[in-house]
Amino acid sequence: MKPGGVMRALYPNSEGTVVRDGVGIRYERYGQGWPALLLLPTWSIVQSRHWKMQVAYLARHFTVVCFDGRGSGRSGRPPEPAAYTDAQFASDAIAVMDAAGVETAVLVSVSCGTLWALRLCAEHPERVLGSVFIAPTAPLVPPLAERRVQRFGKVLDDPVGWQTYNAHYWKTHYPEFVTFFMGRIFTEPHSTKQVEDAVGWALEIDGETLAAAHLGLECCDAAATRRLAARVACPVLVMHGTHDAVRGYAEGEALADFTGGALVTLAGAGHFPHARDPVRVNLLIKQFADGFRR
Amino acid sequence: MRARLPDREGVVTRDGVRVAFEIFGHGEPALLLIPASPITHARSWKGIVPALARRFTVVTTDGPGTGRSDRPRTPDRYAPAEMIADLLAVLDAADMDRAVLVAHCHAVPWALRLAADHPRRAAGVVAIAPGIGVAPPYPYAAEAERRWIDPVDAPAGWSMRNRHFWRQDGGYRGWVEFFFGQQLPEQHSTRQYEDTVGWALDTDAEAMIAEREGRAAPAGREAEALCRRVLCPVRVLHGSDDRCQPVARGRQLAELTGGDLVVLDGAGHLPHSRDPVKVTRLITGFADKITGAPMHATTWTRGPRRPRRALYLSSPIGLGHARRDVAVARELKRLRPELEIDWLAQHPVTTVLDAEGEHIHPASQWLASESGHMTSEASGHDLHCFQALRRMDEILVANFMVFQEVVEEGCYDLIIGDEAWDVDYYWHENPELKRGQNVWLTDFVGYLPMPDGGEREAFLTTDYNAEMIEHIDRYPWIRDRAIFVGNDEDIVPSTFGGNLPAIRDWTTRHFSYSGYITGFTPPQSGQVAALRAELGYHDDELVCVVAVGGSGVGRALIDKVAAAYPLAKKAIPELRMIVVTGPRIDPAAVPRHAGLELHGYVHRLYQHLCACDLAIVQGGLTTTMELTAAKRPFLYFPLGHHFEQNFHVRHRLARYGAGTCMDYLATDPDLIAARIGELAGKAVSYRDVETDGAARAARLIAELV
Repeated sequence: MKPGGVMRALYPNSEGTVVRDGVGIRYERYGQGWPALLLLPTWSIVQSRHWKMQVAYLARHFTVVCFDGRGSGRSGRPPEPAAYTDAQFASDAIAVMDAAGVETAVLVSVSCGTLWALRLCAEHPERVLGSVFIAPTAPLVPPLAERRVQRFGKVLDDPVGWQTYNAHYWKTHYPEFVTFFMGRIFTEPHSTKQVEDAVGWALEIDGETLAAAHLGLECCDAAATRRLAARVACPVLVMHGTHDAVRGYAEGEALADFTGGALVTLAGAGHFPHARDPVRVNLLIKQFADGFRR
Repeated sequence: MRARLPDREGVVTRDGVRVAFEIFGHGEPALLLIPASPITHARSWKGIVPALARRFTVVTTDGPGTGRSDRPRTPDRYAPAEMIADLLAVLDAADMDRAVLVAHCHAVPWALRLAADHPRRAAGVVAIAPGIGVAPPYPYAAEAERRWIDPVDAPAGWSMRNRHFWRQDGGYRGWVEFFFGQQLPEQHSTRQYEDTVGWALDTDAEAMIAEREGRAAPAGREAEALCRRVLCPVRVLHGSDDRCQPVARGRQLAELTGGDLVVLDGAGHLPHSRDPVKVTRLITGFADKITGAPMHATTWTRGPRRPRRALYLSSPIGLGHARRDVAVARELKRLRPELEIDWLAQHPVTTVLDAEGEHIHPASQWLASESGHMTSEASGHDLHCFQALRRMDEILVANFMVFQEVVEEGCYDLIIGDEAWDVDYYWHENPELKRGQNVWLTDFVGYLPMPDGGEREAFLTTDYNAEMIEHIDRYPWIRDRAIFVGNDEDIVPSTFGGNLPAIRDWTTRHFSYSGYITGFTPPQSGQVAALRAELGYHDDELVCVVAVGGSGVGRALIDKVAAAYPLAKKAIPELRMIVVTGPRIDPAAVPRHAGLELHGYVHRLYQHLCACDLAIVQGGLTTTMELTAAKRPFLYFPLGHHFEQNFHVRHRLARYGAGTCMDYLATDPDLIAARIGELAGKAVSYRDVETDGAARAARLIAELV
């Protein structure tokens, strides 16, 4: 193995760190085509390497910028929930765009990356050409039935399943939670490698930091999401798997509906289609981004 | 017959000169197709209009001097300003603010000038084989240009491009035949050659001379300046073997306009005629890019979860193949119960599929009617099916483009084409488009010339056979399985013509034999009585069924047999004659005779054929083989000039010892009546027809999925 981990398909042209409020945000820039794509972080449980199946391909056609979200990878790990709001992530994204010399970009987000992508679309429309939402966290509809057993702050005896999505449990059994959670992300058969990757990234942070990251996002309720979604004026593409066991397919439908975007249904796909079905997702991102190249 | 008729047509008139245009389809952006008139006109786009019109508004114009336009003879009327004024008038008349201009050869400078002077009207320019003087012409063309007004004696080659020669008797035609011979360097371009020469002869030498002398095409610096003034997106398509316009011109045009250049390697000057599939896709891609075609809601299913799916194409010309294809599909489902089968099919095949509860793909509605084309090509009891097939080129490419969209979206594992000529031909011509495992079925191999077609027809059939053989040799992976519906002895003892191999040897090397597929099991002799009772045929009647298949061809035979009915009925009082006109001939239009029964489409007609005492039919393979399998006496009348019915079917029936072949032209109603008397109800001794053909074919197909 090479120093620094497994060999990558492509290495960045440049990389750097921007510091906001004392938190270092580590970013990478690849390729040089127009438009630029900003591959946004998702929840801090994984770092920017979760885009590893996209970067080499997209960078042959576009400028690609990605960064480790606060709490993940080589970015800082502030302890307090207030450091993990959607507004903080959106401000990080703007700071990264500035540092990487990217004026406007097509946003690509996964899962709760939706929350900061919506903020960027609504509040910085001059920086956003369009937005791709993959398996979006869009609390416009009720969560999946199986997740309604979650009690995040409550002390539970022998929690099972989604009950392990719990701050107290994470203090003592974080790896067990991670194993459960990644199993729910990849519902497709034969996903061992994808699960191993994701578990590895998740174990780069600890349960307390992840709990802070969770609490920071509690402000993103249905009303706030609806307000932001209604302000999105750029072209939107939503992809959502029918077998997504983390954020239900209905969330993708609702987001496409609210934003007037196109919905691509990924029949049989789980919550991380960009990792499990990278070819189709890459082609869809390319097709969407090509629409801005006139 | 055209693959698609215009939704609207009209003319604009400027200074008393009428210029014709046509509008097809609807969708953004609009496309204005500008031909290199007057040597050609709007029909030159026939291979690409139907597919483009399913996506975009397409406007074609003939340009002044040809087609449905007037033929002004003053050079001034062809000056650039006039041509652009015509095009703007067409855009106005078509209510088009803005269009992508698609222009060929010397029409390209007009499109560029329109785009430069009226940027709001041009969304983009597609320049095909551009005739723009941004790079030198070929020396032979420059030399001819220099000597344009010199009197010449018996010129040859490019020096035929001369005003004096064009005015001589046959001079212009001589030039046109030479010129288009040069412009189609691709092998097997006879059909395109005939088309383009024909369109060139729609104008005359005087209009052509006036246009050449009025053209004032920009060259050198002036041409470069024009290109630089074009600010809209530009795409240039240029054949590497273009002998009219050097590819350097296309390259320079792309450079000067910042456009993209697609070199079509091995193509000549007329890629929109010779490679319509590729050109359509390049224009579509360019137009989509201009509008930024928004992404629409779709579903993509993960590969491992997809149901196994097949797309079945049944030759739509008549009803002949529908029954056997349904039988093959049934057997295939027995072997692969999970296989879902969609049918891309058109009338009249859909009548059978509907009745059998098969699933017809909704895109079938976009197919241009092959059966309608064949009917339009028939005259009386005559159908020159080889030439009719050649003239169906426009319909075949239009239908192929529908098919290709269906397979690209449908993720089919298996394509089964029973004489789906369009798929077989265009996948070999555009092999990068192939999707899925591909099965080809046919019941004859080899085009054969009719004797009265002379050398020309023998040359053409040989050329078509050679192209097919080259296709298979070059791309053996396009057909994953080829099935001959029959046995090796059913194949005529002929060659493909010229130095080409014997048909039977070649077919045995490249096909599997399924045996004949009737699609039903004929009743045993003991079961016929029950079947007759079920169908309402009485023991004391001699039932004569007259059927002409599923196409619209057959009225002439029906009329002649109907005229024989009173004569036969007089001689044989127990005669009962039942005429089945099929789904494309209205039985109400047939002259009435007392006692003569008339029906349109009869589902499961084969049951009636199995139960009859005599049948009178055309020379189509399916019906005659149904009668052979059922061991009924029959008279068959091959259509005049129909090589398949006259050679292939006749050979096969002779092998089975089945049927009495009749010459339509030499037969009058008296003779038909006499034959009815001789044959009705008589026992026959034909060779047995196998009943496991569908199962054998299905096994050969099932191995692929």
